[in-house]
Amino acid sequence: MDMNYVISYVLRIGVVASVLLVSAGFILLFVNNGSNGLALSQIASANSGINSSIFTVPAIIGGIFAYQGIDFILLGLIVLMATPVTRVFFSIFAFLYNKNWIYAVITLIVFIDLMIAVFVVPSLLVR
Amino acid sequence: MMILLYFIALLLAGIASGLVGAMSGLGGGVVIIPILTLLFGVPLEYAAGASLISTIATSSGAASAYVKDKLANIKIGMSLEIATTLGAIIGSLLAAYVYANGISKWLFVLFGAVLLLSLYPTFRQYEDVHRKRINQDWSTDIFQLRGSYYDKAVRRTIKYSGYRWPLGEAIMGVAGLISGLLGIGSGVLKVMGMDWGMKLPMKVTTSTSNFMIGVTAVTGSAIYWTLGYIQPFIAAPVVIGILFGAYFGSKLLQRTANRSVRLLFLVLLGIIGVEMVLRGFGVA
Repeated sequence: MDMNYVISYVLRIGVVASVLLVSAGFILLFVNNGSNGLALSQIASANSGINSSIFTVPAIIGGIFAYQGIDFILLGLIVLMATPVTRVFFSIFAFLYNKNWIYAVITLIVFIDLMIAVFVVPSLLVR
Repeated sequence: MMILLYFIALLLAGIASGLVGAMSGLGGGVVIIPILTLLFGVPLEYAAGASLISTIATSSGAASAYVKDKLANIKIGMSLEIATTLGAIIGSLLAAYVYANGISKWLFVLFGAVLLLSLYPTFRQYEDVHRKRINQDWSTDIFQLRGSYYDKAVRRTIKYSGYRWPLGEAIMGVAGLISGLLGIGSGVLKVMGMDWGMKLPMKVTTSTSNFMIGVTAVTGSAIYWTLGYIQPFIAAPVVIGILFGAYFGSKLLQRTANRSVRLLFLVLLGIIGVEMVLRGFGVA
């Protein structure tokens, strides 16, 4: 298995999906002159308190079906963040397949670090 | 209309940052943070959030090209990500403390200082491009620190091996911490760790660094997301801009010899570093 090819492919798909979602989000945002019940001027302001902390993943998914621009943009950013995580996840199996045990363990450790950052730390911060 | 112009300006700022970030191996963060804070007047935490999430784009966009060309060493990168991810968790929690206590001006000073300090090793190695590429110790075998790549500038395949893995790992821990704290990819420190620490060739260090930045940055970004440092209207155009800038940057890098890449490093780092220190002390 050519790992270089697989990794290159994963990275490219994630990035393209992210760009499409974010672009769709901005088109919706400008066409509708706002999103999620917020005016465009509020959304564009750095002082209005509109930021990632007030959006949850389930709410973002719900907003996609209601064609809310902000939710498309945020989902695009989440896809972008998921791309390297997916790459690391696939690499664990690629190293196992190639019987490179030490690198399978190393990659698993990196993946555990990522899971701590994505799930454990945020749940402690919110509490 | 003003909002559309603001959007376009953010997009252009991203393109410029992505171009420079990919070519230098620094990631776009060190360029976009000063642009957003000094020129656009964006609060530092939002600039850091936009920067950190867009360094994922820089990394994934440029790295997919590097990986295909086998410039980036995936194994070496992965082994060093153990320390960068742990460092990034600690760094982003430190950032939360700094912003919550209103002492973010020290982050401007630290940002400038990190850049200015990175000038020294970069300058020293500037004359050291054609050094020995094969170095070995016990860690070379255990962690498989070997590889080869085709150098388009000199038109031949170059074999290399690195050593001093623990030293590289230690520097990566600091790189991760700085990444989470300042919202940058910490490309300078990653390049230092592999170039100065492990004595890997420059083309390999810059592309492996760029490859690693995505994993480091996603660690901090996940925590930044919860903290509310990602403002979608500011972050997203920057991400898109940086992606396109990084794409062209990675194309250019393959056709450029080490010399011009490093010169670009030196000039930009110097100017940006001084500006940020001055801002931290309230001068600029």
